[in-house]
Amino acid sequence: MRARINTLAHVAAFMTVLGGLGWLLMRGSDSLNYPWHWERIPDFIYTWDEQGFTPGPLLEGLWVTIKISAVSLLLAFVFGLVTALLRLSDSFVGRFLARVYLETIRNTPLLTQILVMYFLFAPLLGLDAVTSGVLALSLFEGAYGSEIIRAGIVSIDKGQWEAAHSLGLSTSQTYRKIVLPQALRRVLPPLASLAVTLVKDSALVSAIAVAELSKQGAIIVARYWLTFETWFTVAALYLCLTIPLSLLALMLERRIKVRS
Amino acid sequence: MPDKDSCATNPRTGDVIVEAQGLTKVFANGVKALDDFSLTVCQGEVVVVIGPSGSGKSTFLRCLNGLEEIDAGRIVIDGVELNHSKKNRRAIRTEVGMVFQSFNLFPHMTVLGNINLAQELVRGKTRGDATDTTMALLDKVGMAERADSYPAQLSGGQQQRVAIARALAMHPKVMLFDEATSALDPEVIGEVLGVMADLAREGMTMIVVTHEMGFAREAGDRVVFMEHGAMVEQGPVEPFFDAPAHERTQTFLQQIV
Repeated sequence: MRARINTLAHVAAFMTVLGGLGWLLMRGSDSLNYPWHWERIPDFIYTWDEQGFTPGPLLEGLWVTIKISAVSLLLAFVFGLVTALLRLSDSFVGRFLARVYLETIRNTPLLTQILVMYFLFAPLLGLDAVTSGVLALSLFEGAYGSEIIRAGIVSIDKGQWEAAHSLGLSTSQTYRKIVLPQALRRVLPPLASLAVTLVKDSALVSAIAVAELSKQGAIIVARYWLTFETWFTVAALYLCLTIPLSLLALMLERRIKVRS
Repeated sequence: MPDKDSCATNPRTGDVIVEAQGLTKVFANGVKALDDFSLTVCQGEVVVVIGPSGSGKSTFLRCLNGLEEIDAGRIVIDGVELNHSKKNRRAIRTEVGMVFQSFNLFPHMTVLGNINLAQELVRGKTRGDATDTTMALLDKVGMAERADSYPAQLSGGQQQRVAIARALAMHPKVMLFDEATSALDPEVIGEVLGVMADLAREGMTMIVVTHEMGFAREAGDRVVFMEHGAMVEQGPVEPFFDAPAHERTQTFLQQIV
């Protein structure tokens, strides 16, 4: 009974805060004297006529964002794993290189990295905008991913290494069969959070004219002056990607807690 | 102190299989865990190593299969020297089984998976061959019904019996037991000691670090008493327990009985 009242109180508090925010937003837009034209937005998402279903620029942008994010996520995982293993390796050169990569990426803005990749490295390597965007994004998130994976690896009990070694397993066999399966399971929730960050960070790739969601939004705003409607819609579309990912992270966290 | 001649002349044992000479190990914090420690073990012999905590017993076992690196001395196991060669170290680890105080089963694998793993990866057996060996060993340690369980579903005594089976699956020439029963509840210590005594009877070469003097008396051939990383005294089980020569040994035995 007590818990029930408590829950109700929390819901009431939440609704009050939400209502307050909504009111502030309304007041803000009132004082702006902003001419809302929400009715024009659906056409930018999709059209449905005699020719059937046609995705609008926003949906097309969303699809590009999904593709960029998916490939970057995969690459970021590879970069992260390799960097984590190098940082924990016996090789001085390997540890040094991993450290330089990590510190460079973590201490400079992503936007700068994307621009450097596109304007300095891409011409040398013959990369197009999408590829250099994906590469910059995955190098960036991979640096953060490596720290997560490294934390997972060092959290595995020393006894696991010793048992594996005493059975004659090599270091790489021990990583593959014993340490990584346990470590990655442990860090899945923070890795899923990193995926959410990656989806949002992918918006910065618009700076090198990749026609992803944010770029399409910017084009619409520039052409039709529907600033707020467009950006709110873009935000909602990002939420469609990030909320499921966040829920996945939450679910993974719960499942792991139950197991241990 | 046994040497090549005494190993060969003792009807109960075979040739020398473990040779440790002048082992010295100093930890990073300056603690001298092993101080010019030497031990020779014959094939089929069961050597029980006892001593107060911090006397270097566990460190000695861990040095024998390269889990700790020695600062000085020489280790030869079945003719292979443990040195900086990775190949030699793996060869020795493959031939030397180790059982840990904390079991160290792989929690993400079933009992079957735990025991099959190294047979397939290191010995190159097929899944079927490995499973045959595994099931025979599980039967031997009384765990055949739990082949599909995960370690977390087993009691400490059961986990340790699985860990012993896992080490035996490699058909090791020497088994090292590092306080294998110290983490167990008193009522399950017996089941693990029973498995160890069976192994001793079958002629397995064993080096056992333990506080279980009953086991030492029943299954041991020789007792080694260590203190401050050095050997104080060693000898056959009966005379050792009944009439220890060294004063330090006498006090230690009085304290633990």
